[in-house]
Amino acid sequence: MTLRRRFFLIGLFLVLATGQRADEFKFPLKSNSVRFATIGDMGTGDKSEFETSQQMNEQRKNFPFDFVLALGDNLYGGHSPSDFEKKFASPYKTLLDAGVKFYAALGNHDDASERFYKPFNMNGANYYSFKKGNVHFFALDSNYMDPKQLDWLQKQLEGAGSKDWKICFFHHPLYSSARKHGPATDLRLLLEPIFVKYGVNVVFAGHEHVYERILPQKGIYYFTEGSSGQLRARGLDRSNITANGFDSDRTFMLVEIADDQMYFEAVSRTGKVVDSGVIQRQQTASAVKR
Amino acid sequence: MALKILNEARGGLLKERLRITIQIRSGLLIAFSVFGAAPIYVSAGQGSQAQNPQSPNPQTQNPPAPNPPPDLKSLGFQEFSDRVQKYVQLHKSIEATVPKLKATNEPELIVAHQKIMARKIKAARAHAKRGDIFTPAAKEDFLKAISSEFQGPQAPHAKATIKQGAPLSKVHLHVNEIYPESIPYTSVPPTMLQKLPKLPEEVAYRAVSSDLVLLDVKANLVVDYLRGVIPIEAKNGQ
Repeated sequence: MTLRRRFFLIGLFLVLATGQRADEFKFPLKSNSVRFATIGDMGTGDKSEFETSQQMNEQRKNFPFDFVLALGDNLYGGHSPSDFEKKFASPYKTLLDAGVKFYAALGNHDDASERFYKPFNMNGANYYSFKKGNVHFFALDSNYMDPKQLDWLQKQLEGAGSKDWKICFFHHPLYSSARKHGPATDLRLLLEPIFVKYGVNVVFAGHEHVYERILPQKGIYYFTEGSSGQLRARGLDRSNITANGFDSDRTFMLVEIADDQMYFEAVSRTGKVVDSGVIQRQQTASAVKR
Repeated sequence: MALKILNEARGGLLKERLRITIQIRSGLLIAFSVFGAAPIYVSAGQGSQAQNPQSPNPQTQNPPAPNPPPDLKSLGFQEFSDRVQKYVQLHKSIEATVPKLKATNEPELIVAHQKIMARKIKAARAHAKRGDIFTPAAKEDFLKAISSEFQGPQAPHAKATIKQGAPLSKVHLHVNEIYPESIPYTSVPPTMLQKLPKLPEEVAYRAVSSDLVLLDVKANLVVDYLRGVIPIEAKNGQ
């Protein structure tokens, strides 16, 4: 059998086998579930940001998410009133008009004054928490992880108990296989022990202008979604911690948390699903640590 | 056989390898387009098994234990903290004369508040100069703390943090001037931040190029800075 024929047969098998799996993945769209999208590094105000947000509008017709986590670099460049309009209010107008709330974290391109912009729901704080259904969300300021913020985080996580999901989101990824910046290992030194101790389930970050899902690290799931406006084409250097990734177009994520399952999709600007799956909630992160 | 391969593929890594293989083989583009939409069912157990604990990976290696903390009660740090407190008193007294900023839908109000604060503080500190707050004694203590961070066992991680911010090589700052809004921040290495004097919420440390800046976060004003104290591998990037 020629090499070409052999690869063709393998490919044919994968089409058949995985095609069946594709049919199996569906968001459950349960009435009491928590549904949201995540975007990162989006605030360019250029055509790509608009096209990506347009695709979010399209997806929302079938997957009605209630809110969006913005993972930082919400506004690139200036921070004049017209920048807020051009790089946020205008591209996401349809979602905002539909009552979709945005919860922002600050990136390295963001001015601290964004905390006071009501549509970002930060209420003047550069780190904050909120709860939706059975999910606690913690927005952190990874630009400035001072002792005060670390103390706050520990108290918040402790207070959240162990029955609900705990999701942290911030700008700089603790794990990353992207070429440009790499992982924030210094930040990881401080945050990871806290995440493990208090049972954080999932972490979303941006900064790297690619999409990447990391294999669980100490029982915690990490996603990088930093290509909702910016893109670093071929910027992902897949490593042995990469579960999946995509670096050839802009993306955003759709997430549904229903009871103890988290369903997720990463969707490209053109509507192609580039990653999807279901995560079973860890009882505590330390319980599943190897 | 087919079932076995599929089960392995669900684990993660093999699936990724197969996908890359398919990408390379141009004759199978159709297969890739369908496969690209395939869901991956994951769980903590599966993902963990997919890792290879035998091969050390710089991505996942735990950083070394931190250096011992510097003496925050040292003369230089005390002097710095005292001067910061005086600055914050000034900040607060000026803020009391400005309408309180609350969360708003109107960015014009946010920008206006920042500009008024900056204008009033600049006027009140018209003669401010570099070294007013980072005094020579303070500079000495900061240099010790920073060099300890960048030369100790954690140096690679602190340097990685600076690299993450892709610091620009040429940024010219001026005391009592607005921080240039188009220039991104570089994170102050978090482990280093734990070893510097704590700051009130009105001000924050920022790493800008190789400078350590004391920034008024509400007025976006450079209060003072230490020049060239952070080792960087500068480049021009985002």
